[in-house]
Amino acid sequence: MGAPGADGAVPAGAGPDVLLGEGGPGATLDLYGRPSWARRTASLAGWGACMLATGLIGVPLIWVIYGVAGRAVPHWHWSVITETTTSTGGGGLANEIAGTLVLMAGVVVLAGSVGVLSGVYLAEYAKGSLGSLLRSGSEVLAGIPSIVLGYVGYIALVIGLHWQFSLAAALITLSLLTVPYIAKSTEVAMRQVPTAYREGADALGLPELTTLRRVTLEAALPGVTTGLLVAIAISLGETAPLLYTAGFTDNMPGLSLTHAPVGYLTYAVWTFYNQPSTAFQNLSYDAALVLVVLVLLLIIASRLIVALTQKHTESN
Amino acid sequence: MTSVRAPATAAPRRADVPAIVEAGIRGVSMQVQDLALGFGSATVLSGLDLEVRRGEITALIGPTGSGKTTFLRSLNRMNDKVAKHWHRGDVLLNGASIYAPGAQLMALRRRVGMVFQRPNPFPMSIAANILAGVKAHRIAGKEHYRDIVEARLREVGLWDAVSNRLNSSPFSLSGGQQQLLCLARALAIGPEVLLLDEPTSSLDPVTTENIEAMARSLVPALTVVIVTHNLGQARRISDRTVFFYQGKMVECAETAQLFEDPREPETARYVTGRMG
Repeated sequence: MGAPGADGAVPAGAGPDVLLGEGGPGATLDLYGRPSWARRTASLAGWGACMLATGLIGVPLIWVIYGVAGRAVPHWHWSVITETTTSTGGGGLANEIAGTLVLMAGVVVLAGSVGVLSGVYLAEYAKGSLGSLLRSGSEVLAGIPSIVLGYVGYIALVIGLHWQFSLAAALITLSLLTVPYIAKSTEVAMRQVPTAYREGADALGLPELTTLRRVTLEAALPGVTTGLLVAIAISLGETAPLLYTAGFTDNMPGLSLTHAPVGYLTYAVWTFYNQPSTAFQNLSYDAALVLVVLVLLLIIASRLIVALTQKHTESN
Repeated sequence: MTSVRAPATAAPRRADVPAIVEAGIRGVSMQVQDLALGFGSATVLSGLDLEVRRGEITALIGPTGSGKTTFLRSLNRMNDKVAKHWHRGDVLLNGASIYAPGAQLMALRRRVGMVFQRPNPFPMSIAANILAGVKAHRIAGKEHYRDIVEARLREVGLWDAVSNRLNSSPFSLSGGQQQLLCLARALAIGPEVLLLDEPTSSLDPVTTENIEAMARSLVPALTVVIVTHNLGQARRISDRTVFFYQGKMVECAETAQLFEDPREPETARYVTGRMG
C-alpha cells in the first residue's frame, strides 16, 4: 500500500481520505474498545455455523458407533471372528471377514496401481483436449451408480466371460468403482507439489522417473493416501456391486480367482438382519461392528504410514 | 575420503596477469550467439551475444523484468518446459550447441548446475539431498556415499552444523543453511558451470557473505554466472558484469570498468542508482 498523496494521485487533506476512510489512518479507533455490535454478531454467526456443521457430522457418527456397539457388544463372542458361518446362523463371520479383507487388499493392489498411475498421467502428461477428455471420462465413471457398475460386471464378467460369482469379477468391478477417486486425489495432490521441487530436480538433471518417484510422488503422498483410503473404505462398505459379482458363500475364500463365490461383511449386515433367527440377527450386528472397527483401524494405519514417510517434508 | 574439488587445472588468478591474456589462456566456457527468446507472442530477450569466460564469475545485473533470470535459465535450458517457449540463435558449451537436436538435457544439466533464488531442498533427508544427483548420474558407488556427503557439506561449511542429523529433514534447517545445502547438492555432481539465480536475496547478511566467499573459492576451477539485484555483491565478487535492460544486453565489461567508467548512459544511470 502506497502512501496516499505521495504522487498527487490522491490529494491529501482534501476532505475524507479516500483510501483510509473518515479520520485518516485509524485515528479514531480505540485499541481497547469492544468491537461493534454488527461485527460481534457476524463473528458469532460464523462460529455458530461452523459448530453446527461439525455437530451435524459428529453427532450421527457417535450415534452410529454407539448404536452398533450397543447392539453387538452384549452378546459378543470371540467365536464370531474365528468360526465360519453355518446355515443355522450359528458359528461366526470368519469367512466374511476374510473375504472382505481379501477384496480390500485386491482393490489396494489393482485399483491402487491403476488409479495412482492414471493420476500421475493426468497431472504430468495429459495436456490440452486429451487431458480434459480423460478427466471428464473419469468423472463420468465416478458418477455411475455402483449398482449399475455391478450389473455391468455381472453381464460382462460373471455371465459373459463365464467366471460365475467370483473374486476376480468382484475385484474388477470394485476397482472400476474406486479408480476415479484414487486418480482424482492423486492428480490434485501432484498438482499441488511446488514447482520449485520439479525445477530443482530438473536443474540437477535427474531422470524423469527418479523425479517422479523420489520427489513429486513423495511430496504428494498424503493426498495419494487419502484417495486410497476413500477407495478402501468404499470397498469395505459397498454391497450392491458385490451382490452381482461376488455372490456369497459360507466357505473361507480360496485361491481360485474365478468360479468361486466370496463371502463379505456387508452381505451379512444386509441379509442376516432379515432372517427370522436371533442368531442370524446378532451376527448382522456383529458384522456391522467389525466393519466399523476395520474402518477405524484403517484410518489409524494410514495416518501412521503418512507420518512415517513424511518426516522429511516441509509441513513437518 | 573423496577429494574436495581440487583447483588443479586452472592457475589461480594473479593480479599481474592482464585480464585479456588470462581470458585467452582459459578460453570461453559458454558462448551465446544472437540469442532471442520469448513465450508465445512476447519476446523477452533479443539480440544477445555474450562470451562467458571459463574460471570467472560473471554477474548479470539489471532492473526487475530486464530478462536476466530468463537469460540465466536459457544457459541450462530451464525455459524449455515453460508454456509456449521459443528461441532463436544458439548457446554453445565448450563450442558445442546445447540447443542442437540430440543434445542431452541430463548431460547438459550435469555439466551446468543451478542454484535458485529460494532454497528448494527435496523432501528427503539432508544426506539424501546431497546424494540425489550423485545417485541419478551414477557418479560414485554406495561405499563412497558417506564420504561424498561429508566432503560436500564441509565444502559449503555446513558439516559442523548438520553432521549429527544427516537423516533429519532439510526443512529443519534455517533458510541460509537450506541454501547452502542446495549449493552442496549442485556441487556434488561436479558441474563445470554453476548458475546462481539471486542466491542470497532471501538470506541474512552473514550467510550472504558466506555464499559470496564460497562463490569466490569456486573459481577458477568452476565458471560461475550469477544474477543479482545487489550491485554491491556484483562488484564484490564478479570478474565481469553484464547489464541487462528491457530484454537487451546493454553492456558487458570488466566489473571495475562497468561500475566506474560505464560506456553506456543507461548503465551509468543504473549503477549510480538513478534508475532502479
